[in-house]
Parts: sequence; C-alpha cells; structure tokens
Amino acid sequence: MALIDWDERFCVGIASVDHEHREMIRLINELHEHIGGGDSVAEFLGEIYARISAHFALEEKVMRERQYNQYADHKADHERLLDEIREIMDDVEDKGSYQESILADRLRNWFGDHFRTRDARLHRFLEGASHG
Amino acid sequence: MARVLRAIGQVLLYGAFAGVIGYFSVRPVYQAMAPDQALIKLSFSHAAQPVGACHQRTAEELARLPPNMRAPEVCPRERSPVTFELDLDGKTVVRAVLPPTGVARDGAARLYQRFPVQAGVHRVRVRLRDNVRDTGYTYTREGSINLVPGQVFVIDFNSRRGGFVFK
Amino acid sequence: MLKIIQSAGQTVFSRLDRLFSAVFGDRANPLYHLGALGFYFFWVVAVSGIYLYIFFETSTVAAYQSIERLTHDQWWLGGVMRSLHRYGSDAMVAVMFTHMTREFLFDRMRGPRWYSWFTGVPLIAFVYASGINGYWLVWDRLAQYIAVTTAEWIDWLPFFTEPIARNFLNEAAVSDRFFSLLSFLHIGIPLFLLLAMWIHIQRIAHARTNPPRRLAAGTLAALLVLSLAFPALSQGPANLDTVDARVGLDWFYLPLYPLIDRWGSGTVWALVGGSGLLLMVLPWLPYRKRDPVAVVSLPNCNGCGWCFADCPYSAVTLAPRTDGLPFDHEAVVNPELCIACGICVGSCPTATPFRRLTDLTPGIDLPDRNIRELRERTVAACAGLEGPARVLVYGCRHSAHADQLIAPGVTVLTVPCLAALPPSFIDFVIMRRQADGVLLAGCNRGNCHYRLGTDWTTQRLAGERDPRLRERVPRNRIEVFHGGRGWPDSLPEVLVQFRARLTSLAPLNEKPPHPAAKTPEQQHGAD
Repeated sequence: MALIDWDERFCVGIASVDHEHREMIRLINELHEHIGGGDSVAEFLGEIYARISAHFALEEKVMRERQYNQYADHKADHERLLDEIREIMDDVEDKGSYQESILADRLRNWFGDHFRTRDARLHRFLEGASHG
Repeated sequence: MARVLRAIGQVLLYGAFAGVIGYFSVRPVYQAMAPDQALIKLSFSHAAQPVGACHQRTAEELARLPPNMRAPEVCPRERSPVTFELDLDGKTVVRAVLPPTGVARDGAARLYQRFPVQAGVHRVRVRLRDNVRDTGYTYTREGSINLVPGQVFVIDFNSRRGGFVFK
Repeated sequence: MLKIIQSAGQTVFSRLDRLFSAVFGDRANPLYHLGALGFYFFWVVAVSGIYLYIFFETSTVAAYQSIERLTHDQWWLGGVMRSLHRYGSDAMVAVMFTHMTREFLFDRMRGPRWYSWFTGVPLIAFVYASGINGYWLVWDRLAQYIAVTTAEWIDWLPFFTEPIARNFLNEAAVSDRFFSLLSFLHIGIPLFLLLAMWIHIQRIAHARTNPPRRLAAGTLAALLVLSLAFPALSQGPANLDTVDARVGLDWFYLPLYPLIDRWGSGTVWALVGGSGLLLMVLPWLPYRKRDPVAVVSLPNCNGCGWCFADCPYSAVTLAPRTDGLPFDHEAVVNPELCIACGICVGSCPTATPFRRLTDLTPGIDLPDRNIRELRERTVAACAGLEGPARVLVYGCRHSAHADQLIAPGVTVLTVPCLAALPPSFIDFVIMRRQADGVLLAGCNRGNCHYRLGTDWTTQRLAGERDPRLRERVPRNRIEVFHGGRGWPDSLPEVLVQFRARLTSLAPLNEKPPHPAAKTPEQQHGAD
C-alpha cells in the first residue's frame, strides 16, 4: 500500500514541477516498500535527497522567473526541509536501525505539509498571475 | 597596526606605480644624433621619360581606330628608370637606379633618404638621368653648403623648376 | 623550454601576488585586476581626451599653441587633463603588458581560452597606434621626430606611390589637411580599440571590466598626484627645418623608434610582424590534446540552470528539452567553449555522494574525472585515516601543492578546481565521520585559474550561492585556505593549527537522536 497517494492539491500548475512532485511521491513510496533492508534505506534516502535538491532548484528558478512575492519564505522552507532530510539520513546511518512507522510518518507529513501550504500558495499565485 | 602598515604599503606601491610611469614617460632622453651634426634629406618623386620614342599615327592608323580614340601621338607607357648620384666632398655617397612605380611601370620613381653629416662646409654634387636613350646625366647641380648643427638641408628635384632644388 | 620559462615566471609572480595581497587584500589585489584596470585607464584617457579635444585646434601652427595654453593658462584643469591623458595612456600600456605576461606565464590561453589571447594581440597594435597618433597631434619637437620616423617606417611598406615622409621634408611641406586627418584618426582608432576590447571579453562570463572601487580610486589618485607634481609638457614647437640631437621619448609608446633609427625600417617591421605572429600562435605551441569536455545526462538533468549560472566561460547554456520529459530546458555544453574545469559539476544538485553508487550519474559530469570516481577516491582515502585529528584535504590542481601535507592522519585529494567539488562532499565527509575535518586548499581569491572558482566556493560555503553547504555542517570543522603558489610555506602551518583546533572540538555524535532512529525497544518504552 502506498505511503502517500497523489493528491490534486500537490499540483502547482507547471508541468515540470508537477512531474517532479509525482517522481518524489513514487520514490518515497518505493522506499516505503523496500524498508526492511538497512543499507538500501540510506541509499534510497540519498536518491530522494538528490532529486529533491534538483527539484527545489527548478522550483526556485520558476519562482524567480515569475517574481513570486513569497520567494524568500518558500526558499527558507526548502532549506529547512533539506536539513531535515539530512538529519534523517544521518540518524538512520548512525543508528543502523529505525522505527519504520516513524520514518514513514515523518516523510508523509514533511512532504504533505510543504505541498499543502507553500506549494499550494505558489499554485494560487501562478494561477492569479496567468489570469492577469 | 596592521591596517596602518597596509596603508603605508599601499601608498608606497601606488607611489612606485606613479614613479615608474612618470619617469619612463620622459626619461631617459634619447640621443638621436650627435650634437654637432646636421641632417641632409634627399627626396624626390619624378616621373621619368618614356622608354622609347613617341611616334605619330599615320592617317590609315587613325582611320582604323574608333572616333573617340584617335589621339595623334602614341608613346610607350613604360618609363625609364632614374639614375641618380650624390657626391659629398668628392665622394659618392648615394648612387641609385630607381625603377618607376606601378604595375605598368609608368609611375614616378621615388627616393627618400636622410643621413646625418658633420656641421660645417661641404661640397655637394647631384646628378640625375631620366631617359634610357640618353648617355650622361640630364640634370646636374653643384654647390657649397655651410650647415649649422641641427639644420635640415633638403635636396629635392622638380623638373618644372628646372632640376634640383636645394632648401 | 616553455615550461621552464612559465615555471620561473609563475614563481616570480606568485611572490608578487603574495606581497600585493598582503598590502591590498586579495579582493583588491591589482595583479588580479589587470584587465579591468586596462579598461579603467581607457576611460580615464577617453574622458580626459574629450576635454582636450574641445580646446585643440587642428592646424600645424595652432595645435601647439592651443595645447600650450591649456597646459599653462589652465594648468589646474586643462593641464591636469592633459597629464592624466598622457599618464593614463602610459598606465594602460603598463597594465596591458603585465596582464599579457601574467596570462602567458600562468598558461591561461590553452584550449578554448585561445580566443581571449588571440583577440588580445590586435589590442596591442590599436593601443600603440592610438598613442603614437596622439603624440603626433601635439606638434612639438617630439611629434616632429615621431612624424619623420613613423613616416619613414610606414614607407617601407610597398603600398604608397609617394613616400609619406615627403609630407615632413621641411616646414614648407607640412600641410594642415594631413593634420586634420591625424586628428580624425585619433578618434577613429581609439573607437576601434574599444570595439576590439569588447570582442576580447566575449567568451567570458561575468567579465571583470571594472576594477574594485578602492583600486580605481587609488590609481586615479596616484595619477592625479603625478599629474600635479610633474605635469605633461611639450618640448618646444616643431620646426621641420631643424632637427634635435636629443629627444625626450615616452618609452612606453616609443621604444622601437631608436631601433628604427639604428636598424632600419625593414628590420623593425620584421621584428614587429614576427613577434605579432608568434604571439598569435602561442596558444598552440606546443599543441596539446584537450581534456574531454563536460557531458550532460538528460535523465538526471531537469534544467534547473545552476551549471549555466556558474560556468565561467559561457560554455553551458539552457536549451529547449529534447528527450520528451516535461521539463522546459536542458543543459547543453558547447564543446568549443568548454575547458573541462568541472565547475559545472560542482554546481549540480544531483552531484551528491549520498546517492546509490550504481546510479551516481549527475546531470552534468566530466567523463574522465567523474563524481562516482571522486566518491570512491574520497571513501578510500578516508578509510586509511587514523588518529585524533583526521583531515581530508581537497586541493586544487593549480594552487599550492597540497601533496606536501600527506602525513599520518592527513590525506590529500586533488580536484581540478575547488568549485568543481560539490559542497555535499564536504557534508558527506564530515557528517559521516570519515574525517574529523576538511581542508580546502585553493587559489588566492580573485586569482582562480578558472576565474570564478574561488568566488563560488566562498559563496557556497557562506550560504549565499546555491548549491550551498548545509548550515548544520559545523563550520569549525572546515578550513579554507585561499593561498596559492605564493604561499607554499603557509599551508602546512594552516594544517597544524586546524588539527589543533579539531582536537579541542566535541565529537559529532553528541546530540539527541532523531525520533525515527530510535530502536523499537526504546520506542515501546516511551509509549
């Protein structure tokens, strides 16, 4: 069963960003399925970290180009999220084991929170901008 | 303290920069010639005589040409080389055979030379031949010149003014 | 042969770099801004020249007098402008040649960098033509000497039916019209010079054409003081019926003139022509194979544009997507412009060592020095480290030789440029405790061999430029030494102090573990 289901609220309205959101969810769900083997978790998290970094970079580019007025706040949240992922990665690496449900919950909340709040706000801004 | 040292260092380096620029902008002074010398400038640009004789076109030759091209006299285009000699105090210092310029060799022959000489009295003789069909020199000029240090003495040639011009 | 000259020259300049950096600070070191200073002096000369032009009268008689009036009657402005015009021009020649020498000695004209060098050679000719032309306009004794000698030199070329030198035979020969031509050329040639300067900076991103403000102010002040203390003066009115035995030459512009006198025009043409040709082919002497250029991996590239922003040579651009993925752009490398510095790889968000080793292909990579190999080298190098203060040194290839630092507990890896190292590698090494500290040894700031590497590294570590080093990575475990070849003795000392500091730091794992990392027993205990 998937950890996170695609929700229309995760749409921002930009094809590339939405594509990457879907990719993120797919990766996280894959991780959720494979939880059970120690090493692969760390590596999976590494893949997620790399993809998320690239995704945030692209999203920030879009925000800059469209002169999004909440750019600074949104970017600060990106940095915070990346720090959190790194923390999860380090702790999983250090402890060698983890609490599966906690990890899953953290990822779902982390992902969903950011999407529900800041990305949704971005979506509304872009819609407003395109309608003039 | 470090700031003061850095400031002093900067002043010194800027000063060195200004110093190098200021100095080499005018010094060292260049000695172009010895102080007791004068300068002879030899230069002319002269269109010499054609290499062959001109000939008059006959009536039949004229008739064969289109009406707008019936010049009565036709001369060969190529000009003679100019033979030139300059003697200073009895010695030949310049001897040259100057070809006419231009692809068709119908331009002027040119000469430009300058050389320093001691100031004072000199005997000058210049000779020029501008026609291959002549022997001997067509134009000649001799004279005695008294040069002061730093003076520029020009030897030019202008056939319309009769030959060599001393300035 | 070339290597010997370059090596000796680099040693000399590195010492000078160090002295000047100590005095001016590395950000405003004039030796790192020679090109920018060249542009700056051009503007000084142009502005002062415009002022002079307003008062200049273009006839053989009035030219000298108009300049004399300006120099003496208006000494406090016109005279200063004239001196600035002259000394600024001299300064331009000085920085131009120093700049050229430096770029040659540090081998910064190889591969695609040939363009910058090659387009710089005509600049020399334009600068000299402008300057000599300018001296001619004063129509003083120096101008007279220049006129005659230049005319004779140019007459050596078979282009002219009448010798130009006949225009300067004697006083009677000089015409006002020729003078107007010279005056007109003195606007035209500098404009061509400006165009050539613009061409010269074309294949460079973020070209520095303005020196740091401190340097600009300082050099202007130096020239001003010089102008007031030693104003530029004319050497007496020209009179072609006489000739001076002694002439005060400006050796910046006229060093070849005594040679024309002594060796003749033909020899000097051969000298100038030969040197020019030699200079132009220098980038290919000797011919070297180019490093393989950067390669984009489309499945890993989403067109974020960070590599595009960081490339110092405008070799990476963003183009419309070609593989059907819903991204707008993809990165494209122009193989004609890429010099394989790797800075783009350091900027790529997917170039991170945390990834699955089998999948470790970043969006952009150098084929012969790729990220996967760097990760493997990093892990292997750190595996052998033991002792209290284990340090991994990433040293850039073009700065002080870091290999000297290898010791028990210290290992060294070489990268093409510090900015070619993705910051996540530092994160990886420190937070995974593969070493206790990371030392980055690179070039002096502003003197990066690839122009912008030191700037990018500093900004990434400070969190001012993406990709940034995560804030949670403790900065006291990172040491950056922006020295270079001029600081060979400093690097060991820096390492010693760094290691001493490292031993006094608390170990990394003294913080409460993340909730997700608790063991199942601990978790049940909390219920």
